[in-house]
Amino acid sequence: MTALTQVAPATAVRRRGAGRRQVLHWIAVHSFGLALGLVFTLPIVFVVLTAFMSDQQALTSDLWPRDWHPENFLTVFQKAPMLEYFANSMLYSLLATAFMLVSSVPAAYALSRLRWRGSNFAFMIVIAAMMLPPQVVAVPIYSMWANLGLTGTLWPLVVPYLLGDAFSIFLLRQFFVTVPQDYFDAARMDGCSEIQILYRVLVPMTKPGLAAAGLFTFLYTWNDYFGPLLYVGEKQDSWTLSLALASFRGMHQTQWNLTMAATVLVLVPVIVLFLFAQKSFVRGITFTGVKG
Amino acid sequence: MTTQALAAPRRMADWARRAPLLPALLFMIVVTQLPFVATLVISFLQWNALDPKSRGFAGLDNYATVIVDPDLRSSVLSTIVLTVSVVLVSLVLGLGLALLLDKKFRGRGAVRTMLIAPFLVVPVAAALLWKHVLFNPEYGLFNGVLTWIWGLFGGATPPQPDWISSMPKIAIEASLVWQWTPFMMLILLAGLQSRPMDAIEAAKMDGATGWQVFRYLTLPHLRQYLELGGLLGSIYIVQNFDAVFTITSGGLGTANLPYTIYQTFFQAHDYGQASAAGVVVVIASIIIATFALRVVSSLLRNEVQS
Repeated sequence: MTALTQVAPATAVRRRGAGRRQVLHWIAVHSFGLALGLVFTLPIVFVVLTAFMSDQQALTSDLWPRDWHPENFLTVFQKAPMLEYFANSMLYSLLATAFMLVSSVPAAYALSRLRWRGSNFAFMIVIAAMMLPPQVVAVPIYSMWANLGLTGTLWPLVVPYLLGDAFSIFLLRQFFVTVPQDYFDAARMDGCSEIQILYRVLVPMTKPGLAAAGLFTFLYTWNDYFGPLLYVGEKQDSWTLSLALASFRGMHQTQWNLTMAATVLVLVPVIVLFLFAQKSFVRGITFTGVKG
Repeated sequence: MTTQALAAPRRMADWARRAPLLPALLFMIVVTQLPFVATLVISFLQWNALDPKSRGFAGLDNYATVIVDPDLRSSVLSTIVLTVSVVLVSLVLGLGLALLLDKKFRGRGAVRTMLIAPFLVVPVAAALLWKHVLFNPEYGLFNGVLTWIWGLFGGATPPQPDWISSMPKIAIEASLVWQWTPFMMLILLAGLQSRPMDAIEAAKMDGATGWQVFRYLTLPHLRQYLELGGLLGSIYIVQNFDAVFTITSGGLGTANLPYTIYQTFFQAHDYGQASAAGVVVVIASIIIATFALRVVSSLLRNEVQS
């Protein structure tokens, strides 16, 4: 009896101590997380706030808009043909993504499933192509398009995707090799041709992989600045949003509020896309190196 | 005997089946490699678009110029410094954030989305943002914060540094680290979440401290994820153009090779020399990638053994 009554308060004290430590730990983790989250997000928040400021206030170090100017977003459309640039960007990104899927899916299938002399070498070349910075081969490709008279149009940007994109081929291959061989053997037994196997068996099974590859291509082309600058930089009708954004200040003195409003408008489609496809995006990144 | 006799027709059939698929692949190989071969050829030519008559074979002249020219040499160096520092810093920060996000706490999903946001910002917009919203000496956020802190302590004249002119390289690196840390975090978080939890539980039961678990179980497991992040990061940061072009326009010693190629090509119109610089980029990035991967993996291997 006496032993029990003596033990009970001791454990209670210990438990209370542990509880306090847990609370402190909880507070520490939360505040640290919040602080880091803020450090990484604050610049973006500040962009959004500046987009609502008046012309004069944008040139001060104020954080909060004195009075709100949502009409800035409309002014952006009046000052520059943003809709046209938006259409160009969409055309570039969507065509590139569609072309990539048409060309890279069969190539990735050939790399992942067909064994032939030199298939390893072919894979090495795909990896090498992936690492080749686009600026390196810009000279011969640019002169080719210039000879064809197609610089100043979006063709030089999208046509290469019809011929396969190394990173997408690599990414898709990493997804394709995870499908068990049994499915292919069974399909072959049933007399499917390779093309039928690809489109009736493999593609339906690896939709997340296709989504990830499509998402990456869309993001890369939407963000691309070097390509558009090289090919359509001198022809304003074909500008994409990234080009428009970079020269927004030059065109209309320095109107930071408007530049920031334009920035917000460019960001929105990407963030919406990401929120819908967060899972395939993360899976795509990790799949590239870890499996296979 | 029988297997050999069967092999020939089967091989024929195999090739007949493969035939429709291989062209896509072979075409891709030709298309991606041909421009590089063309670049190699042009790099040995004297070819300036402003002076088309003097086009001809130049031997190694372009390479000699690339190697001797102090501007080009400094751009080789700044490419290496930029790539290595951004990849390493964003890997370390990304690891820290991933470890934090691996813990369960309320609002984790929201914090994760907030942290990923910088990666989604269009690079040109990110560069503009850093140049004008953060670094600007008059109305930038950094100097605004300095003024505020000085005001708190009653200081009358807060320091208002011109960040980009006084530290141009760090300015560019900071903006790239801000963009790439979330990417590294995503990869490493996926790595953390694929850890075998039973081994970690067992180690904890045996009295391993949090640090020991991290060092002997988590870090070795993360090795391939760290390598992957480093590799993908290097591929894209070696070719970075937007940040350098937007923040400093290649001035103040920040010009990296992609920028220099662009300049040689578009302003000097020296196609031969631009191509030679491009070939140097490829060789440099192969060296960096091999070296960096070796170093990282040997470091981690040592840790596993010790």
